[in-house]
Amino acid sequence: MNLLNDISFKRLQGALDASNMRQRTIADNVANADTPYFKRSDVSFEEMLQDQMSGDLPVLKGKVTDPRHFVIGPSSLVPTPVVNMDQSTSMNNNQNNVDIDREMSLLADNQLRYNAYIQQVNEQIKMMRVGVEGR
Amino acid sequence: MNISNSFGISASALTAQRLRMDVISSNIANAETTRASMSNGVAVPYKRKMVVLEPNKTSFSTMLQNQMRGGGSGDGVRVTEIREDQSPFKPVYDPTHPDANAEGYVFMPNVDIAKEMVDMISASRSYEANVTALNSTKAMISKALEIGKG
Repeated sequence: MNLLNDISFKRLQGALDASNMRQRTIADNVANADTPYFKRSDVSFEEMLQDQMSGDLPVLKGKVTDPRHFVIGPSSLVPTPVVNMDQSTSMNNNQNNVDIDREMSLLADNQLRYNAYIQQVNEQIKMMRVGVEGR
Repeated sequence: MNISNSFGISASALTAQRLRMDVISSNIANAETTRASMSNGVAVPYKRKMVVLEPNKTSFSTMLQNQMRGGGSGDGVRVTEIREDQSPFKPVYDPTHPDANAEGYVFMPNVDIAKEMVDMISASRSYEANVTALNSTKAMISKALEIGKG
């Protein structure tokens, strides 16, 4: 049974997870906009997915000849989102590097992205429903 | 990964900024207070207070999860202490003042109204930014409730 388990659905699920994580990270950056020595963080997912889909990313993968083998390399086709802290820059005299304007635009961007993913999920469910009901 | 934690992060910042605003209000209200306390019969003026902000300490479990995933986001902000400004008081010549010393000088609090006003605007803008972040999270969660509806 492979109703909603195909790869595009899994990718969308991963993108929603990444978007949730990014929302958390941006909320944390905004919350610490006045905290001395705080460094902002960022979530990367979309670029990693793009690299993986286009095959540009060199992947070292162990060959599995038995289902009981350990998986070497990425275990699934969807990359896990990664949080990166930007340690190299400073915005203020107190070593804080949160640019509030940038964070607010990233927040808006993330929200729209999330809405787009939800819409895409709904489209897929609708298509599947057409297939199931036959009309 | 729980999205409602974003609420907690923004809420912690709202609490911190509100406390900062309270401290600034106290500084402005006491800008002329010459007798905040008495030591050996001498009036000690009000000392300017300021908040110390620090990223919230994450719990052990979230820290372990973050390490296993390779980096994670923080857990908001908190006020660790309210510190007193130790800079010197401003002497003002006013011999008729009840708290004037033998030379006729009154020591006024080390509160600079202009500085407090700047801090106040900064706190209020930060508060607004966090409200925006909170609303954005709220919109995302209500959008997620629409999955499978259409």
